[in-house]
This record gives sequence, C-alpha cells and structure tokens, in this order.
Amino acid sequence: MVPTSQVLGLAALLFCIGLAGVIVRRNLLIVMMSVELMLNAANLALVGFARVRGDLEGQGLAFLIVALAAAEAAVGLAIVVSVFRSRRTVYADEVTLLRR
Amino acid sequence: MTGGVGMGELQALAPLLVVTGWAALLLLVSALAGGRSLRLGPLALCGLLLALAAVVWDWRLVGAGGQVLFGGLAVSDRFALFLDALLLLAGSLTVLISGAYLDEHGFADDAYFSLLLLAISGMMLLVHATSLVMLLIGLETMSLAIYALVAFWVGKATSAEAALKYFVMGAVASAFLVFGVALIYGVTGATGYRALAEAAAQAAGQPLLLLGMVFVLGALAFKVAIVPLHMWVPDAYEGAPTPVTGLMASAVKAAGFGALLRLLATSFAADGLVYGSTGWLNPCWTLAALTMSLGNLAALRQPSIKRMLAYSSVAHAGYVLLGVIAAGLHPGQLAPVLFYLLSYAAATLGALGVVAWIGRREAERLTFEDWAGLARHHPVVALAMTVFMLSLAGVPPTGGFFAKFYLFRAALRDPQLVTLVVIAVLNSVVSVYYYLRPVVAMYFQDGVAQPQPLARPGVYAMLGLALALVLLLGLLPGVPLDWALHAQLAR
Repeated sequence: MVPTSQVLGLAALLFCIGLAGVIVRRNLLIVMMSVELMLNAANLALVGFARVRGDLEGQGLAFLIVALAAAEAAVGLAIVVSVFRSRRTVYADEVTLLRR
Repeated sequence: MTGGVGMGELQALAPLLVVTGWAALLLLVSALAGGRSLRLGPLALCGLLLALAAVVWDWRLVGAGGQVLFGGLAVSDRFALFLDALLLLAGSLTVLISGAYLDEHGFADDAYFSLLLLAISGMMLLVHATSLVMLLIGLETMSLAIYALVAFWVGKATSAEAALKYFVMGAVASAFLVFGVALIYGVTGATGYRALAEAAAQAAGQPLLLLGMVFVLGALAFKVAIVPLHMWVPDAYEGAPTPVTGLMASAVKAAGFGALLRLLATSFAADGLVYGSTGWLNPCWTLAALTMSLGNLAALRQPSIKRMLAYSSVAHAGYVLLGVIAAGLHPGQLAPVLFYLLSYAAATLGALGVVAWIGRREAERLTFEDWAGLARHHPVVALAMTVFMLSLAGVPPTGGFFAKFYLFRAALRDPQLVTLVVIAVLNSVVSVYYYLRPVVAMYFQDGVAQPQPLARPGVYAMLGLALALVLLLGLLPGVPLDWALHAQLAR
C-alpha cells in the first residue's frame, strides 16, 4: 500500500507544476491545461485521503470536481475562442487592450 | 446525510429554487424562440420578484433560529435570507437596466438573462451553504455564469479580454479552493461546517489544516477583491458590459462576504484558529488596512469613471473586511456588515447605472471630460449621480454615511481595532476627492457637446429605485437596520 504522505506529495507536486504552468506559459490553451492539472492534483489528494479515512465523501467530491472541471473548460474555451475571433491570437501577452 | 428531502426543506429553500427554475425556464423560452430576439427582461424580472416574495414568506417560516437542510449541507436562516433579498434586489435593478443596454449596444439577449439568474442562484447557494461542498458548487455556479456575462459583449475586444483575465485568475482561485477543501478534509475528515468546527478546534495547530484554511479563505478573498488578490478587478469591471459590472460590484461582493462571514463565524471560530500565530485575525487586519488604502490610492489616479468605481469597490471591500473582523471578535454582530453591504450595493448600482445611461453605441463616455456640463442638460440625473457619489464617500444624509458610521462604531468597541478604524476614517476622507471629481465635472465645467444619453423607461426606473434606496437607507435607516439586526446565523 502506498503511504498517504507520498500520495499527498505527488498531489502537491502536480499542483505546483500546474501553478507554474499558469504563471510561465503564455499560450492560453497550455494555461487552461495547467489549470486542469491543478484541479486533478486536488482530486488525487481527495481520493488518497478518502482511502485512508475509509469513507466515500472524498471520492464523491472528486467526481463533483471532475464535472466542475469540465464546465470550467467549456466556459474557458468559449472565452478563448471569443478572444481569438477578435484578436487573432491565443498568446496572453498579446491581449493587452485594457490596463493602460 | 441520509433520508429523503422533505417538503419543509424545499419550502425553506424556495427563493433559491425559484431563481434556478426560472433560469432554466428562460433558457427554454429562448431556445424555443429559435434565434428571434425576445426581450426576456420583464420575464426575468417576474422570476426575481417571485423569489423576493418567497424570501419574505420564508423569513417568517424559518423563524429566528433558522432551519438546517439536507443533513447539514445547507441552511435557511435569516442571515442568508437577508442576503438573498439583497442579491435579488441587485439582480432586479440589473435586469431593469439591461434591456435598454442590450438593445443599444446591439448584443442579443438569448442567454443573457438566464445566465444572470444562474449567477444569482449560485450566489444564493453560496450564502446558504453550510458545507464546503455546497460552497464549492455555489461559487462555481456564480463564477462560470459571471465569466460568460463579462464576455457577453460580442464584437468588443475589451469584453473578451476582461473575461479572459478574470477567467484565468478565477480558475486558479477555484483550484486553490478545491485543493484547500481536500486538505481540510484530509486533516479533519469533515466538510460540513458544524462537524468541521469541532474537528478544526482539535487540530488547530496542524500546518496542513492551516494551509487548507488559507487556500479556502484566499479563494473567497479573490472573489471579493481583497488586496493582493484584486488585480483582476479594474480590467474585468472596465471590460464587462456596465450592468454586469454593477452586478459584480454589488451582488458578487455581498455573496462572497456572506460566505466568508458564515465560514469564519461557524467553522473557524475556535480560539486557536482566530487568535495568535495560527489565527486569521492578524493577517486579516493587515489585509483590511492594505485593501482600503491601496484601493483608494489607485482610484485617485484613474482617468475612466468605470475604472475609478472598480478601485472604489476594492476600497469598500477593505471597509467591509473591517466589519468582518469585528464580527469575528464579537460573534453575532453581523448587522453592521449586512447594512453596509446593502447600502454599498444600492449606491454602486446607481452610479454604474448612470455610467450605463450616459454611454451610447458609438461612445461609452467614460472620462471625466465626457461628463462636463451634464448638470445643465440633465439636472435630475446629475443630482442622482451626486447622491450616489456622496453615499459612496460616506457623506450624510445618504445610506453610505449611516452604514459607515454604524460599522466603525461597532468596530470601535474593540480596542484592537481602533487603529484600523482610524485608517478607515482617513481613507474615507481621501476618497471624497475622487468621488467629487465627476460631480465637479458635471456642475462646474462646460461641456463641448450636449450628451444624448440612453433615455429609456427601464433605465430611469432603475436609477429612481437605486436613488430611493440610498436616500431611504440614509434618512429612515430604522426598518432595514431592524431586519439586519434580526438576520442572525442559525445556531
């Protein structure tokens, strides 16, 4: 059996990789993938904790978050398409009409 | 968490169910219409007013003690119902002005009102939630609908850009919230607030619990724009359609603070979690001081009125946070915060209503020069705008003055907060300068051209209602204050 500390460690690592991706990468599609990575890191932690505790609440919550991530991706991609239509770019540093 | 859902539980949650059902109904109607423009505003307004009636009905039904629902997942108490009424009021004012605004700026209303109602239902769930799971669902329902509303202005590049910035930062905040919930669940095994309160009191010093708390509170702080997490506010507020900006400044803020208040007052209320090295009190003190000061300083330098109001909303979040801290120190003192949120919502909705009124399709007219000489051509609206500005600045006899006075007086009862109140008062004095800038432009400068504003009945109805509310809260605060005093959390 894999100890919880390792599951949590992996989850934390994935979360940090995702966060770094959001901060460093300029391509909006990669940024969205990084956000998904962060959400799934949280899912991993939830499932790991649920196994240690022996209850299903954490697993149920993980399912909920999968649905939530899908909804978020749908809205996010729609916004990226809308940006692409008006600006012809998917690079975050080229979208700078605001903030004068 | 076993057993079926009782009729009584559904009745106690009637306002939320009405709004959610109505959002689905609106979506269905616009789908059946097959692309024709329907002007669904009046129908949306009916739904909101129906929900408001349900709030009044439930106020008696749930009584002073509140009613726990669904085995502790949610609750219907007078605190939540007061905020429900605030949210529905803000939603109604937004709907009133949206119809004319959508027509003028030429974007279709097929999903707009449905999204608006969905956002409000998410906010209502947020204030009713007594479980981290419900908090998560409410926050996401609200956020996803608001992202879409911000991006709704098809063909305007800044709208999509604003939505993009808000979405990316908001999605990261959501990820932090989810991870925080996972950590709290891992340490305590609880997601319900009541179970969490007991488990968290025992695990007070644990680093993982603290990290989880910081993540969850941070995500809520992002939504209400507490200072290091306010970077999205000016861009999102400026790029969004103006009625949506009003909704974000009034309702999103109120719902976020409602959730924050409930979480701090019920789950993280153990001594070890409030005071000392592991407590939230000292960081919140610093954040409140930073939020009001930086918000005000940034607002001083804004060339655009919409952007100025965005930074002013940051500053007001700082004042409200002061009230939240006071409520944390003295449990049960929620009325000053609730009254403040109501008065701020009325004034900021009114001010952004005037911004929406003056803008036309070819020109949004956001700079101070665009407002020059407005008082000569439109004295009544200029006077209304002056009242809204005075209320935001906290000058009598407006609601803003009374709300600030009441909030600061409640905070002054605690010696730890005296310095913070002094900072807040100094900030209010500074804010008078930028709130008077549009007033000076309207009354004392000469305009080049006569402005042709958006003269439509819905717009004037909205401005009139907001004005009446601001003056009512200032001149006759007794009744709403009495409601706020009765708006207690369920035990």
